[in-house]
Amino acid sequence: MNHIVDAVRTFILDEFLPGEDPSQLTETTPLITGGILDSLATIKLVTFLEERFKISVQAHEADADHMDTLADIAKLVVSKQ
Amino acid sequence: MSAVMSPARAPRVTPTGHASLGRITLPQLAFILVELALLALVIRQFTIESAAFVRLTVLAFAGFAVHALLPLRWRLGAFVLLSLGGIVLVLGLREGAWLMGLGALLIAICHLPIPFWWRVAVLVVVGAGLATMRTAPTAAPWSAAIWPILGSLFMFRLIVYLYDLKHDKESFSLTRVLAYFFLLPNVCFPLFPVVDYRTFRRTYFDLDAAQIYQTGVDWMARGVVHLIAYRFVYYYLTLSPSEVRGPGSFGQFVLANFLLYLRVSGQFHLIVGMLYLFGFRLPETHHRYYLASSFTDFWRRINIYWKDFMLKLFFNPLYFKLRTLGPGRALVIATLVVFAATWALHAYQWFWLRGAVLLAWTDVAFWSILAALVVWNALHETRHGRARRLPGREVPPRERAMTAFKVAATFATICLLWSLWTSDSFGAWFALWGALISSPWSSLRASLPALTVAAMVMAVVGASGLPVNGRVSATRRGAKLPWRTLATVATLAILFLGGIQSVYVKLGPAAATVINSLRSGQLGRTDMALLERGYYEDLVRVDRFNSQLWEVYMNKPANWLDVQGLGLERFTGDFRQKELVPSMGVQTRFGPIHTNRWGMRDREYDRVPAPGTYRVALLGASTVMGWGVADSEVFEAVVEKRLNETRPAAGIARYEILNFAVSGYEPLQQLAVLDKVWDFHPSAMIHVAAGRELLGIAQNLETSLRRGVPIPYPYLQEVARRAGIGTSTDETTALRKLQPLRGEITTWLYGEMVKACRERGVVPILVFLPHIYPGIWEQEATEVMDRARDAGFVVLDLKHVYGKMDGVALRLAEWDAHPNVKGHQMIANGLYDAIVRHAGEILATRETRR
Repeated sequence: MNHIVDAVRTFILDEFLPGEDPSQLTETTPLITGGILDSLATIKLVTFLEERFKISVQAHEADADHMDTLADIAKLVVSKQ
Repeated sequence: MSAVMSPARAPRVTPTGHASLGRITLPQLAFILVELALLALVIRQFTIESAAFVRLTVLAFAGFAVHALLPLRWRLGAFVLLSLGGIVLVLGLREGAWLMGLGALLIAICHLPIPFWWRVAVLVVVGAGLATMRTAPTAAPWSAAIWPILGSLFMFRLIVYLYDLKHDKESFSLTRVLAYFFLLPNVCFPLFPVVDYRTFRRTYFDLDAAQIYQTGVDWMARGVVHLIAYRFVYYYLTLSPSEVRGPGSFGQFVLANFLLYLRVSGQFHLIVGMLYLFGFRLPETHHRYYLASSFTDFWRRINIYWKDFMLKLFFNPLYFKLRTLGPGRALVIATLVVFAATWALHAYQWFWLRGAVLLAWTDVAFWSILAALVVWNALHETRHGRARRLPGREVPPRERAMTAFKVAATFATICLLWSLWTSDSFGAWFALWGALISSPWSSLRASLPALTVAAMVMAVVGASGLPVNGRVSATRRGAKLPWRTLATVATLAILFLGGIQSVYVKLGPAAATVINSLRSGQLGRTDMALLERGYYEDLVRVDRFNSQLWEVYMNKPANWLDVQGLGLERFTGDFRQKELVPSMGVQTRFGPIHTNRWGMRDREYDRVPAPGTYRVALLGASTVMGWGVADSEVFEAVVEKRLNETRPAAGIARYEILNFAVSGYEPLQQLAVLDKVWDFHPSAMIHVAAGRELLGIAQNLETSLRRGVPIPYPYLQEVARRAGIGTSTDETTALRKLQPLRGEITTWLYGEMVKACRERGVVPILVFLPHIYPGIWEQEATEVMDRARDAGFVVLDLKHVYGKMDGVALRLAEWDAHPNVKGHQMIANGLYDAIVRHAGEILATRETRR
């Protein structure tokens, strides 16, 4: 799980939060409900997850229920591997 | 625009994992209850939204006190009971039972033991059946009041629920489903945020209960502030299109139009805030939408639930399907479909709420232009990214300045776009621009105070709760809880104290008048004028953009006093356009309406009065005709009877008042009525100016020109030529051009009436009769009476005829501001007294028939 969290954290910091303090992005930071991931950023992240972890994410999974935190995302990825 | 990254989200609590879930200490509960008591007082003091909502608030707050102390496992059930109780409280037992029964049927269909798509098909069939009944409300065994609420409960939530039913593996819970569909505040708010089922389920008591409750109180208080700010804009800043005469009023018009949206954001804050009191920690519905810095940002901030609904149902499924075309193409197509669906679903929503499909080209244009702007913005963001920033980090001045510029540009563009959306037609919208271009910029000065106040309202509402950037979740806001709580308590205390009459009257007459108006939930000036026009016309403007007027209309029974439908009127083909059919008798809900053989709503009279008779010809419109009261209750009949009983003037054996009034007649048409009047040999002629005299004159001339009604008066034809208006001139432009000529036309009209009377030895009398509510008539009263006196009328001023009586006690109904029986009695008393007071001018100089 940790390597998934690290990879996703790095991706989010590079793509959406360049220059921000990595320690502020924890496993429980709200990404969608907190406004960091909007719809465009979410589909960009989905594309990254699919390419990086060779999984397929469904449309109904690209939401706050499944992808609101790094922990949620890691759980989703693991469930599909 | 940047988004704020929170340091850490407060830990979520799962139903199985936390012993303290939903618990609150007694001191915490006591504090929340004190806040709620204050909030209830403010809601009652300012009659927030409706009397029904005030009652529902008491139920909800009292219910909360019990709910918060119940074991968690009982609370959802208690919420359902409270919600169903709210339905009965507002709609009554019979109608409430219908609503619940229909709801239960729709929910049951979602769970039929048949394949998913078969269930969808059954729902579509049942929906089509209901839609057919919706178009003919009398076909249903339940009241018409049920439809908007039924529509609001199920039209979108069923779609969301079915979607989640298809994709979720969660076990079914009847209590949860009932709680989701019968949300407590919904019965008072047909326009309701599209609550997502999954979010509804996920966020239920997922945080500390005291924190959730406090956020609910904060949001409800914020909603009240939005609604009071809305009232200020509605009463003091809105203009009708014909009042736009230059850059200043143009700015005021477009700004006020957009600011009226405060009502929706206020209502949604109240709704979601109330749901927080029962543990539903839903997201914000709006987030400082006046401060959006781009079009995508605007879309994300305004009506967030709708955006999420579109994302879930349309954008994501389509984008995921089209990804093979490339991200750019998929993005463009999915976004365009979202906006097309938004337009179509607004029409669908409007059908369920109002019973008619909303199809307007300005609507299509608005959504198309907004779609194009959002697509352009989204593509730009995809290519160049969107800056996100942590709170507390220094923002360079250049970036601040750039953000401020973007906010201003976005706001201005949306204001203009909004004005197109809310216009009746493209012609009406272009007419606004015509006024802007053709007027000098020096006129801007006149509107500067209004524009400044509007900007302040926007700044206060928009900028409350800085920082500007990004959406802030309720969770993170919890970190600032003490300050927010303090702000909420202070706001409520100020509103409560400021709303006490004995306090605000000490602030001076101007401030007291403003606060007094903010406390009322009456229709504003422009909507009241529309309501009055709506008595005689099929209004196209009563829609979501004048939501208060629409709500009033929504409650109006379909078979409300329909004079045309009763067959009481017929077309004349001349300038009067219509008249009453002679010798008719119909029964209405307010009593009988009879016309005599001469086509007057009156008893029978001979054409020539008997010797010793003082005959008065009474001219007017609907109030004078006695709209909404029985034959014997019309003030004319009451005054006639009293004059004959008291005989205030010596030598007059008998008084007759012949009622020539016809509903919808405007002042200019009375000139044509006079031709009929002279056949009855009156001693006096009373023209009743019942408010909006000047406006009615302009509107009547404009309508006659536009409809090609023959105008038999050369003077009026010349005025139309001088103003440069004709059959093809749009209404807004024509009214604007006629505005400076209204006084001149009134003087001409009164002069013609007086001249015609004097040629026949008839006493010309003008009675000024106010409306039961404050309105345009107040601005016109002095001018109208001065012009009448100058023309030679005996003026009977009944401006204070209703004394200090509340208009609510005098009106026929919420949707009909004509005076009721009590109102007619007061008019009769006032008119009788005025006649007696002016007996020297009226009765002594009479020419009674010998």
